[in-house]
Amino acid sequence: MTQEPQAVSPRKILLATGAALLVAILVLLVAVLPAEYGIDPLGAGKLLGLLALAQARPIVVQESEYRLDQIELELLPGEWVEYIYRFEQGDSMVFSWQATGPLSYNFHSQPDDAPRGYSESFDAGESSEAYGSYDAPYPGIHGWYWENLTAEEVILELNTAGYYRSATVSRDRVSGEHALRSLSELTFRADTP
Amino acid sequence: MTDNARHLGTSPWATYRGALVMAALLAALAFAFPSVDVGAHPMDERNAGFVQGVDGVAVAPFLYLGAKHMATGYDHLLFLIGVVFFLHRLKDVVVYVSLFTIGHSLTLLVGVLGGVHANANIIDAIIGLSVVYKGFENIGGFERLFKVRPNTRVAVLIFGLFHGLGLATKMQEFTMSDNGLVANILSFNAGVEVGQVLALTFVLIGLTFWRSRSSFLRHAFFTNTALMLGGFILTGIQIAGYVLY
Repeated sequence: MTQEPQAVSPRKILLATGAALLVAILVLLVAVLPAEYGIDPLGAGKLLGLLALAQARPIVVQESEYRLDQIELELLPGEWVEYIYRFEQGDSMVFSWQATGPLSYNFHSQPDDAPRGYSESFDAGESSEAYGSYDAPYPGIHGWYWENLTAEEVILELNTAGYYRSATVSRDRVSGEHALRSLSELTFRADTP
Repeated sequence: MTDNARHLGTSPWATYRGALVMAALLAALAFAFPSVDVGAHPMDERNAGFVQGVDGVAVAPFLYLGAKHMATGYDHLLFLIGVVFFLHRLKDVVVYVSLFTIGHSLTLLVGVLGGVHANANIIDAIIGLSVVYKGFENIGGFERLFKVRPNTRVAVLIFGLFHGLGLATKMQEFTMSDNGLVANILSFNAGVEVGQVLALTFVLIGLTFWRSRSSFLRHAFFTNTALMLGGFILTGIQIAGYVLY
């Protein structure tokens, strides 16, 4: 170490350190804690409007009712299929798929402005079922790639409900849109075994 | 100047051994408690999604992520600014920054590849305290108030270890595929160094210009006090995160 302030009295150093600590505590209480953690011991966060930052927005408002989708896909040994939804910003869905055998799967998405071939994988592995919910982080196409790596035919059933806009299914030779269902078609079985 | 340990006083901090004991105590604290996810600067969502989903070697993306993480890692940058603040010779800058680099590379690699898990809040709080420490040392606090001159190189190395643990905890939030993990983390580490060099270049340009002015020493005291302020705020945020969750 080379140069250091020479004639600084110990008292000045103590004062400076103490002042730094005090100001830090003030900043934390008035701004940081309210904004980051929603804790407002002095009430200043609310006054400054910072408390609003910490309050999460659990409700996402949509314009129309949600859509339903159900599809059965049969995968011969070695066959793959890609099933993709189009999501806009803020759209979400719940999903559930089950297969008669293990499948290699990859849930991935492609943002609208991405370069060709770019995709981001959010969940991949090998399984015969999966359940969950998905919040699209950006507008684009999002969905599954399934591949049957076994020596037997596997039948997969996918059920989803959400605010996606459209669905497309692609295979080796063919790809096309899959018609989505509307809520009005939903009926409940009166007789439960 | 302070190459070897000096016993200017009876403070345990003044010797190598003392410094190591202190560091060990801090580390024990960090490992004793389960982690909570409120980091100083967690990765943004898209990068997080990428890290989680990547399968295979991806040198360039991890290199970039490392650089981005360091360049936007204000807790790391503040510490570095404190370290180089009074270093006039490039040789000294290289020595100290290398010590810091060795420290954080070691714990980043061991942490991620060795699965060493520490509490992110406590680690980040210690990183915040490292900034306070450096500012305090720069204004002569240890010499004047405690009659002690701690070994700066040892301190930079040890704090470097904690900075690296901080980097590691950010990566450990993701379950990354083992496929290509070593190459990816090495790339990330290299990226951190690139980001560090870039940030330091700007800092040193600014400092060199500032040092040519006569007001430097006067303002240096204020600036290092501001550094301590920043460190205290960082520490407070992390302690709050630890306590509240």
